[in-house]
Amino acid sequence: MPAYLRPTSALRVYIDGKDEVEVEPGRSVRETLVSLNIKPELIALVVVAGEQKTKDYVIQDGDIVKVLAVIGGG
Amino acid sequence: MNGYGGHILRVDLTNGKLTKEPTPAGLARDFIGGRGFGAYFLFKEVPKGADPLGPQNKLIISTGPFSGLMIPGAGKCDFATKSPLTGGYASASMGGHFTAEIKYAGIDSIILEGISPKPVYLFIDDDKIELRDAGDLWGKGTFAVEKHFKEKLGEEFQVAVIGPGGENLVPYACINHDYGRQAGRGGVGTVMGVKKVKAIVIRGTKSVHVANMDAYRAAGKALYKACKDAEFLAEWTRYGTTVVTSWCDEVGALPTRNFSAGSFEGGKGIYGQTMREKIVITDKGCFGCPSPCGKYSHAKKYNAYVEGPEYETIGLLGSNLGIDDIEAVAQANWLVDDLGIDSISTGNVIGWAMECYEKGILSKKDTDGLELNFGNAEATFALIEKIAYREGIGGLLAEGVKSASAEIGKGSERFAIHVKGMEQSGYATHNATAMLLAYMTCDVGAHHNRSWAITYDLQVGRELVVPEKVARVIWLQNFRPMFDVLGSCRLQWVELGINRDLYLPALEAITGVNRTWEDLEKVGERIWNLTRMYWARENEGFGRTWDMPSPRFYEDAPKTGATKGQITKLEDVNKLLDMYYEQRGWTSDGLPMPDKLESLGLTAVVA
Repeated sequence: MPAYLRPTSALRVYIDGKDEVEVEPGRSVRETLVSLNIKPELIALVVVAGEQKTKDYVIQDGDIVKVLAVIGGG
Repeated sequence: MNGYGGHILRVDLTNGKLTKEPTPAGLARDFIGGRGFGAYFLFKEVPKGADPLGPQNKLIISTGPFSGLMIPGAGKCDFATKSPLTGGYASASMGGHFTAEIKYAGIDSIILEGISPKPVYLFIDDDKIELRDAGDLWGKGTFAVEKHFKEKLGEEFQVAVIGPGGENLVPYACINHDYGRQAGRGGVGTVMGVKKVKAIVIRGTKSVHVANMDAYRAAGKALYKACKDAEFLAEWTRYGTTVVTSWCDEVGALPTRNFSAGSFEGGKGIYGQTMREKIVITDKGCFGCPSPCGKYSHAKKYNAYVEGPEYETIGLLGSNLGIDDIEAVAQANWLVDDLGIDSISTGNVIGWAMECYEKGILSKKDTDGLELNFGNAEATFALIEKIAYREGIGGLLAEGVKSASAEIGKGSERFAIHVKGMEQSGYATHNATAMLLAYMTCDVGAHHNRSWAITYDLQVGRELVVPEKVARVIWLQNFRPMFDVLGSCRLQWVELGINRDLYLPALEAITGVNRTWEDLEKVGERIWNLTRMYWARENEGFGRTWDMPSPRFYEDAPKTGATKGQITKLEDVNKLLDMYYEQRGWTSDGLPMPDKLESLGLTAVVA
C-alpha cells in the first residue's frame, strides 16, 4: 500500500500546492521531509493514525503522515 | 455605536465616584478598541512623570468590537497602565469570559483612577455599579476569592482578581480570572493592588447592537466553519501552546538554565506530549473558542489542580530552572497563579538567582538557607512564596531581574535576561535574529506575542540579518496586536491558519464600517508609534540603548544543544536596529520622526 505525507497548508508549496503527496515507506519522516526540500526543523508535530510520532519514525505501508509546521502564523 | 457597549466607566477610587460617559466615536474610528483604547487613554490621561504606584496612574480595561460576539475567541480584553516594572507602557491581554460581560454591561472601557483608602471590589451588574468593601478578602489567594464570588453571586458573574503578589506590590503581579487566565505582564496586577482593588466582579445582560444582523451571522459562521474545517484542529486542541515545547527544544529556542542554552537534556519530561499523557484532565477554552488551547491538569504528586501549564510557563518555570518534571512545573504554575504573580517574569528572575548561586554571587546566607541549584523544584516553590510576600531574598527578586541585578552587581547584570526591564519570555534568541529584534523592539519589553518571528528565522535562515527579516518583524508588530485591538484571540489565525480576510466582513457587519487589512495595519502602526512616544515621554534619555538585548545573546554562545557555539554578533544587533529604525521612519536613536507621526494622524495626539 502506498503511504502519504499530508503537510500543513503553509508547506503545500513544496508539493505543488497539493493536499498530500505519496511517499516511500521505509524511510524516516525526517529523511522524507528533506527529500521534499522541507526543513525538518519547521515541523512541530508528526501524527500518524492519531498518534504523535518523532521525526525519526519510519514510515510504514499505508500510513498517512500528518506534519504540522509552525510557520503559518508567525 | 454598533458593536460597542457605548460607554466608558470611570471609577474614581479616591472619592468613590462612579461616572459613565459615551464612548467617543472618533476614538473608535482611530483606535478601534481594546489595546488601542488603552494606549490612547494612557497617553492622554496619565500625566507625564506620574508615579506608576501613585494616584495619577490609571488601570484601563478595554474591550474591542469583537468582544463577546460570535467571533472565534472573542474573549479578549486589554489591561493598560504605566508599568511599575518598566516605567513605560504596559499592556496585558486576558482571555476567558470577563470581556463579554463588560460588553454586555454596556461598557467599552473601565478606567480605575486614584487610590482607594481601603480594600474594595468593584461590583457591576449591568447599571448597578458599586464599590464594596473587600477587607475580608484582602490577603487571600486568587482561587479562594474567585470561588467566594462564584458561590456568593452565581456562576454567571465573572471575576478578575489579584493575589498577595499584587497586594504586596510585586511589580510583575498579574490579574487572574476564570481560575487560570491572566492579564500577566508588566505589573497590571500591581497597579490594581496599589489602588486597593481586590477584584472586579461583573455580569452584563444587555444586547449589543450590530449594523447588519444577517451579514454578521453569515460572517461569524464562515469564521467558525473555517476553524472547524482546519485540518490540524484536533492536534492543536490536543496540545494547545505546549505543542511547541519539543520543537523549541529541537531548534534551540527553549530557555534553559537562565537562557544559557536553548536545548534541555531533560526536555522530554516537560514536552506537551508528556504533559498530555501524565497530567491533563481536559481541555478548557475561552469565550467563543472553537480550538481550546487551555489544558486543565492535575499534578498528583502535589495534588495541584491547575489550568496549564502552557508553553511559556513550561519554558520559564521548567527548563529555564533546569526542572524536568511536568508535575513540578504544574505545582509552580498553581502557586504563581494563586499568589498572583506573572509566571514568565517569576521564572526568569528565579533563573537569574540560580545562576548567581551557581557562580557564587549568591550563597546560602543570602538565600535564607535555600540551595538554589538548577533543578531544585522545592527551592523554586519556596522562592515563589517569598517573592509574593517579599520575604528574605524574595524582597530582592520581587523587584524584577533588572533591579535585582543592578543591586547585586558583580557582573550579574550581564546575565539578567530582559529588555527595558521586562523579563524575556520563552524563546532563547542566541541565533534567531528576527525573534531577537522582536524582543528588542516590543512595545512593553521582552515579550513574544507582538511578533512571534522565530518561525520566520527558521524559514529564511536564522542567522541572516537582512531587510526582509526586519520588514517581517514590523509587519507582525503592526498586524498581530490588532487582535488585541479587536478583542479576539489571534491563535485561530496563528495555529489553525484561517484566512485573515474572513474577519473583515464580520467587522463590517458588526460595526457598519468597511475596513481593509491595510487600514487595520495602519491603526496598528498608529498605536505602535503612540506607545513608542509614551516610552520617550516618560523616560529621560530614552532611545537606542533601551532596545538592546541581554548581552547573553551576543556574548555567551550556548555550550550545549542545537545552538551550541552559535551567537548573534553585536554588530548584527546594531545593524538590525539601524534597519528597523529606518523602516519604521524613526531617527537613528529610535524615535518617531515628525512626518511619521503626521502620516499616522498622531501630531495632535502627542502634542
